[in-house]
Parts: sequence; C-alpha cells; structure tokens
Amino acid sequence: MTTSTNIDMQARDPSADWIDDLLLRDAHDHADYISDGGFTARVIEQLPPAGVLPAWRRPFVMLLWAVAGVLLAVSLPGLAYDVARTAYTLLAARPFSLSTLGFMVVAIGVATWTAAAVALRRD
Amino acid sequence: MAAKAAAPDVPDAQLIARCIVGDDRHAFTELVKRHQSAVRACLRKLTAGNHALADDLAQDTFVLAWRNLKSFRQEARFSTWLYRIATNCWLAHARKRHEELLGDRDDSVAEDDGDGGGESSFGGDHAAGTTMKIDLERAMALLSDAERAAIVQCYHNDLSHEEAAYVLGCPVGTVKTHVLRGKQKLKRALAAWAPSAST
Repeated sequence: MTTSTNIDMQARDPSADWIDDLLLRDAHDHADYISDGGFTARVIEQLPPAGVLPAWRRPFVMLLWAVAGVLLAVSLPGLAYDVARTAYTLLAARPFSLSTLGFMVVAIGVATWTAAAVALRRD
Repeated sequence: MAAKAAAPDVPDAQLIARCIVGDDRHAFTELVKRHQSAVRACLRKLTAGNHALADDLAQDTFVLAWRNLKSFRQEARFSTWLYRIATNCWLAHARKRHEELLGDRDDSVAEDDGDGGGESSFGGDHAAGTTMKIDLERAMALLSDAERAAIVQCYHNDLSHEEAAYVLGCPVGTVKTHVLRGKQKLKRALAAWAPSAST
C-alpha cells in the first residue's frame, strides 16, 4: 500500500483522533522508569564467558619457542656461538658497580609496575 | 523514558567501542543500565502486560546485542537497534507459540481472535467497571503481531515511521498500513470509550 493511500484512508477516518489521544496518553502513563532490580546483573551473568586462553596454551607456546631456539642453534652453530659469547662478555665478564646494579633493579621494577598498571587499567 | 537513568557521561558509541575492542563488560553493564527500562517497557507492551515474559525476552535481547555488537553500524541510534532486536525476539517467541497452538486450537480460541468476540467482551467488562487501561491492553492483544508491533513502536516508543520501519524490517508504507489497521481494530474494540459513547 502506498503512502498516499494511507493518507487517503486516514482522511476518510475522522474519528481516528480519539484513538490517537488514547494511545498517546497510555504511552505517557507507561513512561515511568522501570527500576533495575537486579536485571542488569542477571544479563551480565548470562553473557558468554570471556575468551580465556586454555591452560595448555602457555606451556605449549614456551615449548615451541624452545624447540625453535634449539633448531636455530643447531642450524647456525657459528651464530649461536657468537651470540652466547657476546652475551657473556656483556653480562658476566664485565664488572658491574653497585650503583649500576641498583639502577638496573630500579629500572626493571619501574618497568614491571608500569606494565602491570597498564594491563590492569581496564579493571 | 530513560530520563531517570544516570546521566550519560560517556556516549553510547564510546561504550560500544570499548565492548568491541576490549571485551569490556563494565562498559556493557553501563549500556544495559541505561537502556533496560526502555527495552523492558517496550516488551511489556508487546507481550500485552506479561512482565515475566517481557523480562525474559529483554534478557535475551541484551545477550544477543552483546554477541552482535560488531554488526552495529551506527546507522540508527543504539536504542533503536535494541528495539529491533527486542521486537525480533518477541516475534520469534510469538511464532513459536502460534505453532504450538496450531495443534490444539479450538473454537473458543478462534472466537477470541476475532474482532466481534473481542468487542462483545469489552462491553461486559466496561459494565463491570473495568478501567480503560485494562480494556486497551486487552484490545492490543487482539491485534495481529505486526499491527501491535507497529503501534508500539510509533506510539509507545515514539519512533518515526522510518525508524519503526527499521525496527520492524519492513517498508515505511507497510508500517503505516499496520498502524492504520491496528487503530481501526482498536476503535472497534474500544467503541465504548469513544467520545460520543462516553458523553
């Protein structure tokens, strides 16, 4: 049915006004705010659980990284040796002063707490 | 209707984005709190005053909204989108109920669905002192699902014909037709409340 037809039918219906008034008055009467009364909590309970990682995923990923590291070391023995030697030179063979060690501990602590704060910010 | 709800400091769009991007349930809780009254009121009207059923359908509405938030394209207000889901939930429930009734539908049920049967019962209720609101609620129950939905969206939810068409998923002309036919049926059912009859 076209819009013009509807208008024509309404034009032929002079007593439609009181029904309009009745419906509008009823809508107004029912416009009161419905108190929550635990409704929201029930809805949130019904939501599907958040996407949590399965328990086996973390050790599995660590294992994969370990395998990848071993494979890399086996396939590129020279590179692995160089990396290990450089790391030893930088970390173990180099004498650190007490203040440097303290600074590193503080820096690592700040970085850890900042990361934790950013991660927990949503909660 | 939601005027008494907490003032929205954060716009709906921002809360929706937080839900989609960060799976943020606190943001969705805020959205439910904001819109629960309007959605429940709409469904109470659609279910002809069945508050328990309306609340069940309202819960389904919000759970479906959560699952489909990513498909909300902001082409309508969030409340209008919720009305659309709520109406679809109610229509699906009504369809299921109609199918269940088809098997054991007897003559008395058929009479109740007809206009004439409704009209005669209203006269008796009126004489017994039944209020106009109850009469209107019962008259609304006589309408077809489409007619009732169109009238609820246009009058109770105060939507334009275009918005109602979006909610009901049909052309604007069809909405106008449903509204007109629904009002004509209501007029017949509530003839006792017409100005000429009451004065």
